[in-house]
Amino acid sequence: MTPRSSLRPLDVVIRIAIVGLTLGTAYIHSTLGGLLFTMNALGYLVAAVAVVIPLGLAIRFRWFIRLGLMGYAATAIVAWAIQGPYYSTAFLAKGIEVVLITLLAVDFARMDGNPINVVKSELALLATKLGRRPATGQAGA
Amino acid sequence: MKRILLALGLVALAALSAACSSATAQPTASGPVDPNGPTIVAKDMKFTSGPVEVKAGANVTIHFDNQDSAPHNVAIYTDSGASTPISIGEIVSSGKKDQVVPALQPGTYFFRCDVHHDMTGKIVAT
Repeated sequence: MTPRSSLRPLDVVIRIAIVGLTLGTAYIHSTLGGLLFTMNALGYLVAAVAVVIPLGLAIRFRWFIRLGLMGYAATAIVAWAIQGPYYSTAFLAKGIEVVLITLLAVDFARMDGNPINVVKSELALLATKLGRRPATGQAGA
Repeated sequence: MKRILLALGLVALAALSAACSSATAQPTASGPVDPNGPTIVAKDMKFTSGPVEVKAGANVTIHFDNQDSAPHNVAIYTDSGASTPISIGEIVSSGKKDQVVPALQPGTYFFRCDVHHDMTGKIVAT
């Protein structure tokens, strides 16, 4: 499947839901106080912007932003599972993060296809670019 | 893609299972409870009181006053390893909560906020 950049109505709905859930968990973390939770909230806020911002660079690497946000949310869930606390607000935040990861996976599948293939092709592209870069001292020769 | 979604689901399930199994049983207070226990205040992301003193060998009610908007609780453990709970208070935001602590043997005990682990204090039972 070739990655596509045009959005269908369902893609828009999914993207809005992703932004909403990301901002939701960012808000919850911002109310918890302390440096760790505040940084976590800021991370989610930046991710919410990165998921939709119409900048060329962000559009080009949207696949990476999706994977990154999935990893970020998964890390938050695992860290919470290890050290808690286990109470209603935390369960709500983790529920949001589970749904967020699911929607990101769906968004990835719809927009980019198989993540393994995407990573492989990006790595191949990177290797090609690095291989074509002129060695130091030869530039301009 | 289905495999990836399945894997994500399993990870989430494992995390939730780990969270649920992490709750360790704590002793319960039986018999009379002294209602005039000390007050522990949380303010500006720390416990303001110094070492809290309670009478050894008697159940006691401690009064938790959270003056922060952030959620806090008083979780008492045998030591700073926080692996053996004695009394885990309810997490509250901007409010007061009474907490019955079962009778403690003479000694020094550790307490912390379970949300913010850097908020700590000591309870001395004499």
